[in-house]
Amino acid sequence: MSLPNFEVIAGSLASGLLLGGSLSLIALGLSISLGVMRLVNLAHGELLVCGAYLSYFLLNYLGIDPILGLPLVGAMVAVIALPFHRLLIAPLAGKGMEAPMMTMFGFSIILQNLMLLSFSADTRTIEASYATQPLAMGPVTVPKIYLIGFFVSVALVWCVHMVVSRTAFGRELRASSGDPGAAATLGVDVRRVHAITFSMGAACAAMGGILIGTAFSFTPSTGATYLLISFAIVVLGGVGNIFGTLVAGIAMGVLQSVGAVILGDGYRDLVGLILFLLALALRPGGIVSGRA
Amino acid sequence: MNFQYKLTKLSTAVCLLAGVVASAHAADEIVIGASIPLSGPLAGFGMYQKWGYETAVKDQNKAGGILVDGKKIPVRLVIRDDKTDPNVTAGNTESLLSRDNAIALLGSCTPALVNAGALVAERRKVPIVAGCDPLGAFRSVRKWNYAWVMFFDEGDLATAPFRMMSDYGISTNKKVAILADNGPDGAVVGGKIWPETAKGGGYTVEQNTSFPTDTQQFTSMVAQAKSTGADVVLVDAIPPQAIAMRKQMASAGFSPKVLVMEKGAEPEFFAQATGKLADGVLVGGYWDPSFPYPGAADLAKRFESDTKQTQSQHIADSHAAAQVLMDAIAAAGTLDREKINAAIAKTNKNYVIGPVKFDATNTSAIPITLMQWQSGKAVVVWPKDRANGKLLFPLPEAK
Repeated sequence: MSLPNFEVIAGSLASGLLLGGSLSLIALGLSISLGVMRLVNLAHGELLVCGAYLSYFLLNYLGIDPILGLPLVGAMVAVIALPFHRLLIAPLAGKGMEAPMMTMFGFSIILQNLMLLSFSADTRTIEASYATQPLAMGPVTVPKIYLIGFFVSVALVWCVHMVVSRTAFGRELRASSGDPGAAATLGVDVRRVHAITFSMGAACAAMGGILIGTAFSFTPSTGATYLLISFAIVVLGGVGNIFGTLVAGIAMGVLQSVGAVILGDGYRDLVGLILFLLALALRPGGIVSGRA
Repeated sequence: MNFQYKLTKLSTAVCLLAGVVASAHAADEIVIGASIPLSGPLAGFGMYQKWGYETAVKDQNKAGGILVDGKKIPVRLVIRDDKTDPNVTAGNTESLLSRDNAIALLGSCTPALVNAGALVAERRKVPIVAGCDPLGAFRSVRKWNYAWVMFFDEGDLATAPFRMMSDYGISTNKKVAILADNGPDGAVVGGKIWPETAKGGGYTVEQNTSFPTDTQQFTSMVAQAKSTGADVVLVDAIPPQAIAMRKQMASAGFSPKVLVMEKGAEPEFFAQATGKLADGVLVGGYWDPSFPYPGAADLAKRFESDTKQTQSQHIADSHAAAQVLMDAIAAAGTLDREKINAAIAKTNKNYVIGPVKFDATNTSAIPITLMQWQSGKAVVVWPKDRANGKLLFPLPEAK
């Protein structure tokens, strides 16, 4: 097997690094749900696809640019997610991880079928001029949307970090994450913290979905692929570790590209899953120590 | 003893009654089953198939149904969604036979799905008629007795771009990059026929890469194709992948002179999703309303009037498959599956898809054409005698 030339290798690695930023934003939602609420949100992929559809329709009917509309879509999905937390997750608090996990599994199937019924199974993509423009950096060419996605994702991850580390809500969130019982005793409204955390996770997924929908294509069943890769990033970065998720997402993007260069693009996910298993076996706490 | 005798008599009576009721039910309607992809990546095809099957059955029922044992019986079509999953197709086919009591079946779309259903039908000795399954992939599975397919042959399809370039005297650097999925037809077309035909035509295959059917990121393989400088890029991928790949080719600044995207560029939503990037993309085709087949223009008009969408060639192969099956039931004049199967074998008639006559491999080949997306419309550009538009060459550069 001969390796491609330098331009191809450098371009692939740069693309992987940039795309890794978007992957970390997607995984961040899953990570904070898991870290704070102990919720294995199996509907995370569908929330991602919801974000992509919302952005698609906002662009086509109201002309709102997908990147400029990111906060709007994030806020919309966060608001939509709130009642679902109250209805589906809150009543199961304190009943172990299995019941909420299975509830979210059912919720994912319902969401997927609702999207199928509402939007059909046609493949869609969010059209934007920058989505198909190349960006040449010397001998290396990367898609412009990857670069935009990277900076947007890093900025959003940083925002989440600031909320968690510098605000009163963040203090409550960290307390609820460490020991919900003790936090409640000290007057923290753990249920409210969980509800907002769930909404934040959904917003991260939805905003990641916009980036994916702009760079690639999506259907109502696209979510599953990104759920799997998000789990791998969460485990690599450490559950609930915001900085770790960012590092793991970027590492995943680069390592997937290494796999793609050596084995072909079809084996990107294989590399991700091998990493997932290795991380579970060798560093189950994640590659980055500590917690947000 | 007396009680046992009475019980036996009662059981016999119940069984007889049940038999009468069952046969009376069976005579009330003819159930035809179909498992097609209404969700998942191939749902774009399933939507057209559903319309084609339903329209053919509706037309038959308007004429009173099918004449069986001297009586016209209406047809009931039962459709199940196989979710683009061969395992679901196999399960659906079992259900159509055991729960819905289908007397015969219509096929799904693409080799993986059609063959999965056909294998169940073959085991249960139930006739199944399908379009949408390239013949080489269908023939390679086994010697079929109850499964029948009318579609194009991969050899015809795969050689079409080269024949077109030769016919039109298209000038390229004769370098080819092949990117094909590792599904049954992708492996045949991308793995064998395209490389062999390219070599035979004096082209050099600079890259030949295969990928699984769930990949969305093609950054590395597109960069490799670009680095080879290939003027001719041949892609065999399902619609979501073809759409993602076309976008990634543009965002990598790669614009070959000839771009063929088999399978994926076929549904209308390819052009809708990719917009101007669809312009100039070629895809193999086999039907257009302008072709001189009975009811071709009318079928397209009916589809567009019913659905407010642009027609696709899949309405023709699915409509014809349903007609072939119902004609065979009428010719057999019975609901005996063996006799229906024998009648399918004798099919020799012009349908909306063209002439259908099955050979010893249970296949009937449809001649291939090349379509090209131009301003959101699929135009037949080759062969010359069937073209209804001019070839757009070279592929327009993305702006």
